[in-house]
Amino acid sequence: MSVTKVEYSKWKSLPPPPGFAPLSTTRPSSKAVNTPRQADSYAAIKVKRAWDLAMSPAKSLPMQAFMLYMSGGGVQIFSMGIVFMLLFSPFKNVAAINTAFAPFAPSPSSPKSFNTLFIQKIVYILANLTTLALGLYKCNSMGLLPMGTGDWLAFETRGPSPEISLH
Amino acid sequence: MHILSSLWTTSFLLFFALSVSSVWALHESEAGVVDWQKTFIGVPRTDGPRSAPSFLRMKAKGNDTTSLIISASERTLGAVNPVDGSVAWRHIFEPSHPILGYYKSGNVVATLSGVGGSVLHVFDSLEGTIIHEKRLHHSQNGQLYSQRTLGVDVTFGAPRTAGHEAKDLFVLTNGQTVHRIGGTRGDLLWSWTAPEQTSLVILERLTVTDSTIYAIGLAKSFASYTLHVTALSAETGELLTTQNIPSNIQNGSDDFLMLFPPTSEDPRLVWIEKGVVRSVALTPKLTSKPQSLRGSGNTKILDVGLSKHGMFIVKKEDGSATVFKLNQNTFESIWDFADSATSSKYSDSIYAGSVDKEGKPYIGRMYWSFGLQAGVLHVFTPHLLEGKGLVSGFSFPFKTDDNGIINHYALDVVNPDRLKVLSRIVVTTTTGAVQLWLEEKVQWTREESLSTIAVAEFVELPERKAIQSGTTESEGFVGRVLRHISDAQGFPQYLAGFVKRFATASYASVSAAISHDSGLHRDEFGFKKIIVAATEHGKIFGIDSSNGHVVWSRVLGLGPVADAGGLIVPLKMFAVKTVSDGEAPQVVLLTALRGFDGTVNTVVYHINALTGKDEANNSPKGDILQGTVVFPGQPSEAYLLPSKVKTIILLDSANNIHLYPHTEANVQAFAELAPSLRFSLQTSGHTLHGYQIVQGASDKSAFSAHRTWSLSLPNNEVVGSVIRPAQGPIASLGKVLGDRSTLYKYLNPHLFAVTTVSKASADGVCSVYLVDGSKGSVIYHASVASTRGTCNIQAELTENWLVYGYYDEDFAGDHQTKGYRIVSVEVYEGKGVNDKTSSSELSSLSDKTLDIHFYERSFETNQPVTALAATLTKFGMTTKNMIIATKKNQIQSIPRRLLDPRRPKADPTAQQQEEMLIKYDPVLPADPRLVVSHRYEVANVRKIITSPALLESTSLIFAYGLDLFGSRVTPSGTFDVLSESFNKAQLVLTIGGLTLAIAIARPMVNRKKLKERWFQ
Repeated sequence: MSVTKVEYSKWKSLPPPPGFAPLSTTRPSSKAVNTPRQADSYAAIKVKRAWDLAMSPAKSLPMQAFMLYMSGGGVQIFSMGIVFMLLFSPFKNVAAINTAFAPFAPSPSSPKSFNTLFIQKIVYILANLTTLALGLYKCNSMGLLPMGTGDWLAFETRGPSPEISLH
Repeated sequence: MHILSSLWTTSFLLFFALSVSSVWALHESEAGVVDWQKTFIGVPRTDGPRSAPSFLRMKAKGNDTTSLIISASERTLGAVNPVDGSVAWRHIFEPSHPILGYYKSGNVVATLSGVGGSVLHVFDSLEGTIIHEKRLHHSQNGQLYSQRTLGVDVTFGAPRTAGHEAKDLFVLTNGQTVHRIGGTRGDLLWSWTAPEQTSLVILERLTVTDSTIYAIGLAKSFASYTLHVTALSAETGELLTTQNIPSNIQNGSDDFLMLFPPTSEDPRLVWIEKGVVRSVALTPKLTSKPQSLRGSGNTKILDVGLSKHGMFIVKKEDGSATVFKLNQNTFESIWDFADSATSSKYSDSIYAGSVDKEGKPYIGRMYWSFGLQAGVLHVFTPHLLEGKGLVSGFSFPFKTDDNGIINHYALDVVNPDRLKVLSRIVVTTTTGAVQLWLEEKVQWTREESLSTIAVAEFVELPERKAIQSGTTESEGFVGRVLRHISDAQGFPQYLAGFVKRFATASYASVSAAISHDSGLHRDEFGFKKIIVAATEHGKIFGIDSSNGHVVWSRVLGLGPVADAGGLIVPLKMFAVKTVSDGEAPQVVLLTALRGFDGTVNTVVYHINALTGKDEANNSPKGDILQGTVVFPGQPSEAYLLPSKVKTIILLDSANNIHLYPHTEANVQAFAELAPSLRFSLQTSGHTLHGYQIVQGASDKSAFSAHRTWSLSLPNNEVVGSVIRPAQGPIASLGKVLGDRSTLYKYLNPHLFAVTTVSKASADGVCSVYLVDGSKGSVIYHASVASTRGTCNIQAELTENWLVYGYYDEDFAGDHQTKGYRIVSVEVYEGKGVNDKTSSSELSSLSDKTLDIHFYERSFETNQPVTALAATLTKFGMTTKNMIIATKKNQIQSIPRRLLDPRRPKADPTAQQQEEMLIKYDPVLPADPRLVVSHRYEVANVRKIITSPALLESTSLIFAYGLDLFGSRVTPSGTFDVLSESFNKAQLVLTIGGLTLAIAIARPMVNRKKLKERWFQ
């Protein structure tokens, strides 16, 4: 595969089209002036995006709840699909948490470390747990969780009575 | 109206509820294949001539005559076809109206039943239909005499209008009343009752002439009786004369008989007194003088049913018999039976008379020859050899080892040729068998004692052993090759069978009949078992549970009372060895042997359940089965020790414990368990006692029972029956509700049910109790109103479920109905859901055993229940249905869902629907689909026993009473076998087709893939 490389040096001398700011690279002298302000806004945007990502599972909750409601209480392929999605996506998300937050990592820190964006990640985990809770709630309402004594009845055993009655 | 509407609702609900399960009624194709039924007429009563079997010749369609054997048992009048021994017809009487006797006349058979002959039935003898029925008096006004059949008689008079077939009946009831009943319509023409002052006279026999009816009675005087004759006008019932005849009768009605001399108008009364035979002619004025027969030293006169021919038999002191005939007012001795005197070479003779098609009389004499070991029959034919008479005879190989001793026989003779006399006899034996012998060949045998089964038990059959040729150590190469070749002989068939089985669906089918060539081996699904059944007539049978055929039978020996004679009362039966013990299954029958000399012994018979062989080796080969006397006296109870070593624990009346078999290992096993054993006994009356076992202080091997508790029921109740819980595995400890909470079943292993009967004759109360047998506490108690002093409560207890049926006559207001009820009760642990006390492992000392709650629902049925039992399956997972026998002579299988005591009164909620509960309806539907006995009539069922098959879904049932019925039921459907409609051929073809398609398509696809690579 050949990728066409833009030769910046070729066009360096050309003036920018009207209304376009000159390329920053063409003005290395202004770099020292602009960098702090721009970096700050980048960081802010990154933090904002990181928060957005952290909250995203919680935001989709109402929609998922509605979908669950619509899928009904019966155990069928459609409702089971949604329930499996609800049950597995939190684990998938949490497993991929560092990769997901890597683009928003502030520049000095290592992007793959769990400690970067720590609070956002915690919130992200909590939000995912709410999704999981919703899935479990659905399972329970469908009667799929072994919550009652009846679910454990088959495992109960009884010993013989100390006295033996003759019949 | 209300009931009707609720019936509609029920059937509607049922339709929805039960249409879920695919198979819950019997398929038509399965009827008669999975089930069987045997019809009986009951063991004939041979204690009187009015009930023993006899031949009856009647006009059939056209001008033919046909004959049937008519016989009466306690409650059944039956007619048997003499050709093949099948039941032509029968009529079953109510228990309160036992048959006193039957009286036959050509095409009509009349019966008197009830106390003092309160009801007269007249049957058409060909079809068995009732021509008419008449109640002559209320049973409460019936006279009870020392002998049941005393004081009743029926005789047939001439038809009122000439040319009319139906003869009028003259009926004597209560020993004092004579009725004339119209033969056609059964209308009472007149009735005459003896006046009060002659109440010392019991009228016993009726004799009728054209104008006069004579009632012969016995008047009680000092130490003997005097004959008393009453003459009535046959037309009006008006009293003509009444008179005592100077006579001295010692033995009641056995000592006089009536004769109708063919040449004389007047009947003649013959009696015996002090060794002299006397007679008197009966005239309307009763003016004749008695006269004596020459000779004395006579002991007995015998009526052989030939009174119309003027013949009877006189027995001398030495036992020899002479036939007498009345000729023109003089008696003539026409035949002396040779060698008929009492002898040690043969048994006492039995005499019987017979009349052939032409109306010629015959007299038979039968005895058992000890020398020949065979029965001998002599037939005396008076009219042969120009009236000199001829005796012809034969011996017949009657098997006493199989059928006991001949009690009675009836004779039927034909005289086809001048000197040829052919006779057939129908024999009734002490073991209750009815046999027809044509000369010396037995034609058929009816084992009527099977209608009196006392105890029965299912016994599992062993598996067919794989046949293996013997391999010896010293087998050479050639021998080995030859053995393999001989083993391989069956290989082609096996291969063909395998291919056929693989390709088609010719598997063993649950709804197919079981092949019977396989011998005594278990079938694929365990449907074939042996039912070992002990009867009240001293015979024990092994019955194939799949078709009802008798596999073996043994006569039980009387052992210590062999000479005196006695009665064997079967009490319990135990399976002491089953196939899982690796040996042939064995049963032990416990009996109380009541000798006629007054002794009682406890005897056990130890039997191989497959062959009937004696396992205790008491009886010589080929002889009857002898038991082992465990102890003298009546046993008070017996149990099977619940351990690996199958030992029977017997209790004598002094509460000492005996073990059978009494071996060292058994005593050891018993001694180990003894401290923890508890049992309860019902003593007479209203008290139950609980016992524990104590070891003797000095003799360590002696054990006795020690009373630990007593439970006194109310004074006006008497313990009727004790219902032990059904034994079977318990699959689930609780009932899971719709919200997945659990109701824990109350599974107290000591629980048993007691039903009581009322002591008071009227307006009493009967009860049902659930009693904890370890300490005597009452868990559940319900009182039901008694119906005129009787409560026929039938109950069954399985796991925590008690079901009982009774007749409810408690009628107090508008909203109550009389009727037959079935009540379903379930006991659960604790106070409610999820409350668990582990009742099955609690010590009896724990106070938690009374921590229970229960559910109860009562249902109305249209039929009284005569027996009920719960189905039993191998693991107990299948729903338990209640099998009930009804008065309608049917066996029904009632689904548990209908009897569930938790059926909600309101519309079921979602959670209750999840539990498959249906709305409570007080009326149990009379749905014919619930009837497992379909067309069969299964009469007077006393008990139903159930047994698991190898398939968890299937339970075998066996009902016994007058009839026998065997079937199998699947309460939850046959969920563990492929359905009959499963198309295996289609499945195999589909798979084969797909394989073929893959084989064809694979190279094509590969080629295509390769081409794609090239053109990319």
